[in-house]
Amino acid sequence: MATTSYPSPAELPRPRPSIVPASLLQWLTWALVVTLVLGPFLPLAYASIRDRPLYEAGGTFTLEPYRELFGDRAFWQAWWNTLQFAALTTTMAVALGAAVAILCTRTDLPGRRALSKLVLLPLLLPSLGMVLGWIAVWGEGGYVTSFFNQRLHIGVPAIDTIFGMALVEATRLMPIAFLTCQAALVRADSSLEDAARSAGASPLRVLRSITIPMLRPALLNAATLIFTLSIAVLGIPLLLGVPNNIQFVSSYLYTLWTNASSPDPGVVSAGAMFLLAAATLLLLIRNRLLGAEARFVSVGGKASRIALLSLRTWRWPLAAAITLYLVFTTLLPILGLALMSFVVFLTPLIAPWDLLTWSHWQMLDDGVFRNSIRNSLIIAVVGAVLATAFVALATLVAHRSTFRLRGSLPFMMLYPRAVPGIIIGIGFFWAFLLTGALGDWFRNSIWGIMLAFCIRNLPLAYIVMYPTLARIGEELDRAGRAAGAGWWTTSRRIVLPLLRPAMFAAFILLFVELLNDYDPAVFLVKPGTEVMGATMLSQFIQGAVGPVAALAMVQVAVTVVVLAIGAKVFKISTTGGHDA
Amino acid sequence: MPEITVDALVKTFGDQRALDHVDFTVRDGELFTLLGPSGCGKSTTLMSIAGFQQPEEGRIGVGEETVFDAARRIALPAERRNLGIVFQSYAVWPHMTVYENLAFPLKVRRLKRAEIRARIAETLELVEMTPYEKRYPHELSGGQQQRVALARALVYSPAVLLLDEPFSNLDAKLRIRARSWVKDLQHRLGLTTIFVTHDQDEALSMSDRVAVMSAGEIQQIGTPEDVYQRPANRFVAEFVGRVNLIEGVVAGVDGGQAVLEVDSGRRLTVRAAEGARVSDRVTVVVRPEAMTLLATGDTSVNGTNTWDADVHAAAFLGDHYEYELEAGSVQLIAQSPRRVDGPRIRVHIPGDACSVVE
Repeated sequence: MATTSYPSPAELPRPRPSIVPASLLQWLTWALVVTLVLGPFLPLAYASIRDRPLYEAGGTFTLEPYRELFGDRAFWQAWWNTLQFAALTTTMAVALGAAVAILCTRTDLPGRRALSKLVLLPLLLPSLGMVLGWIAVWGEGGYVTSFFNQRLHIGVPAIDTIFGMALVEATRLMPIAFLTCQAALVRADSSLEDAARSAGASPLRVLRSITIPMLRPALLNAATLIFTLSIAVLGIPLLLGVPNNIQFVSSYLYTLWTNASSPDPGVVSAGAMFLLAAATLLLLIRNRLLGAEARFVSVGGKASRIALLSLRTWRWPLAAAITLYLVFTTLLPILGLALMSFVVFLTPLIAPWDLLTWSHWQMLDDGVFRNSIRNSLIIAVVGAVLATAFVALATLVAHRSTFRLRGSLPFMMLYPRAVPGIIIGIGFFWAFLLTGALGDWFRNSIWGIMLAFCIRNLPLAYIVMYPTLARIGEELDRAGRAAGAGWWTTSRRIVLPLLRPAMFAAFILLFVELLNDYDPAVFLVKPGTEVMGATMLSQFIQGAVGPVAALAMVQVAVTVVVLAIGAKVFKISTTGGHDA
Repeated sequence: MPEITVDALVKTFGDQRALDHVDFTVRDGELFTLLGPSGCGKSTTLMSIAGFQQPEEGRIGVGEETVFDAARRIALPAERRNLGIVFQSYAVWPHMTVYENLAFPLKVRRLKRAEIRARIAETLELVEMTPYEKRYPHELSGGQQQRVALARALVYSPAVLLLDEPFSNLDAKLRIRARSWVKDLQHRLGLTTIFVTHDQDEALSMSDRVAVMSAGEIQQIGTPEDVYQRPANRFVAEFVGRVNLIEGVVAGVDGGQAVLEVDSGRRLTVRAAEGARVSDRVTVVVRPEAMTLLATGDTSVNGTNTWDADVHAAAFLGDHYEYELEAGSVQLIAQSPRRVDGPRIRVHIPGDACSVVE
């Protein structure tokens, strides 16, 4: 044995420190995150207290925009509508999401595995397209509506009321409540429930006294997030509310912006600041309510061991109910959308095959539609790659470095989630205007829109990557450091390769979100830089329903295909979390 | 191999002192153990030496080099301290083969390919893992992963080796084998090593010297025999092995001997502690296996320190018997290689097996 051959330490060169110090890289990352996340809001705040648009010379400070805004009764009416809508949406989404989560994780519901994946779909499908689908089947004169009204003589709630719009939005956001509750249930030790049963409680009693109280933090978490997201929604009030004279804050600001006699009025910036303050307040409340740990729910982990509650005779009826729910809220709207794209106009009064046409699809090969598809695809691919890489780096700085300001990064990366998309849009609009040649380049190309979309969806990548990173033992990188590698080498050779599955999941989710996002873009699009969502919105308002439906079908198809590939390569549907 | 000096380390977490002026010197080629319950500061000390934690005060030197000095604001990053470390979880990188794991520290040091290959071959032979070169960690058993972790810590000839509870994830039998194997390797290589554990058997069987820690302070530093037979205080006595604590009042001091009055009728003659005075209240520590048990009529041992006792419970434990005894007001646990019958027996406590603690 090599008793004497063990070399003395002097024989080996000491590892050289890397040329670029790790702290420089960490500073740059931090500075970039801060600039991109907070940057857009400074010019917005500034614009809201100037008496004329920022690009005009001169101007003085004034509170006139706020005075004008607060003096407008329509603004307060819009807030009242928005709050009613958000409260209704939150209640329905949370109740439904929690119920389905309990059924899928704690009972012997048939097909619970497949169902727990399928219920996530509405969140991932393009939201604007789904609203169109809803209009096609559930709108006034829609297929399902007329079937219920005229054949079954059962009234169906109109979807262009506040309640109806909340119903549409609740079905989209329900998966957030589902994911949060599911994660809490999977993590919860089921022996707590076993103990209650041993103590003599019936399954229903256990549900009431143990399971549901255990879910309380998750419910609160989901409720605040859903509430925050629903006060910012733009597509629903524009497509459903405005035709019925119901304005929300977002649509009120949008209408003000597009109809203003003088362009880019300060009052819109003031309204955006007000909305931003409300959203920020909600995020702060949520952070207060939750421990830091609970905010980063990692979905997945050990499969639930037991079916606690035997549903007996309710097994099949409940499974059927969830399936029917998915059929009516997801499948039928998609089918309606598909049909809409193939007929001259959609009506239950004339058989659709008499109205068949290819013209809507042919229009996609032309002009603004063709541009939109191409731009959206480029933005989705390039943006998802860049954002994934950037968030991976920032997540490492936040959680695997000794960088002094790392503590501020998690909040910074979650913040855009709380910010309404239209505010990000207006913020970037002003930021590009004020940053000279660089801003002009962003403003006149699709990269400006890509940047806004990416910032808006940063939190998504972060909440997918962080739980995985937290599971990679810190001793692995310490071993790398002890072996002589600096922070960057350790990150690149050890941590990032282990993070690869999560990075892939983040890429898929970002791709889908960037492809379908629209509200930040409505303030940024110019001829030539159209993206699908923004085009759908403007074309629908102009009445081009058929081509818009075809465009929405393109979104749905690409989304479904990419998600299917993602799920195949990596079980994305169980790790994807819209829950922070 | 250099020695390691740790000087007055202080580290606080929140308002809790994790390290309270920790001092020790590890001699060249020595295996030095930090022993203590969880939360005593032993791991914090090790991580401070490795460079993963920064104390607020103190100094750490490895050989001639100062790797940390709070007063002079020196804190060498972990990667420049040239230490080998084996973690509790082994931390074998799961996406690299055994070969790649070992090659990483060498590539970082920009060695030539041929040299990397030669060193890895040599080190794998040292830990008897040569056939597993191409395996991934998940294809290895826990014991094999541990050897890989050790090989990776040795392959670049670090100045010192740090072991952070490396055996706690092995099953009982493997653990005993691994202990003697690591000790043997350390001895052959003459590597200055710091070993952290909460397991007293590990500490006693492997170490040249042991530092017993509690609540961020070092309670005693000494050879395993010192720590076991002459514990400096009650904590050390109770933490390292099982122990009987007998309280008494000094009745007389005579030369090197002190006589304690334990209760009426029971006296104990022990080595006098320095500065012992009549009527001091003291505690005497005696190990269960140091006592001799005799049948009632047996007079083979003289009468000093021999008491009559009632047997409360007796248990056969394979290689010895264990008795719970009551002698007047004193409860004792005693071990005996032989079986001693009777509801009443005699127990002899050798004076030189007793140590007086605060």
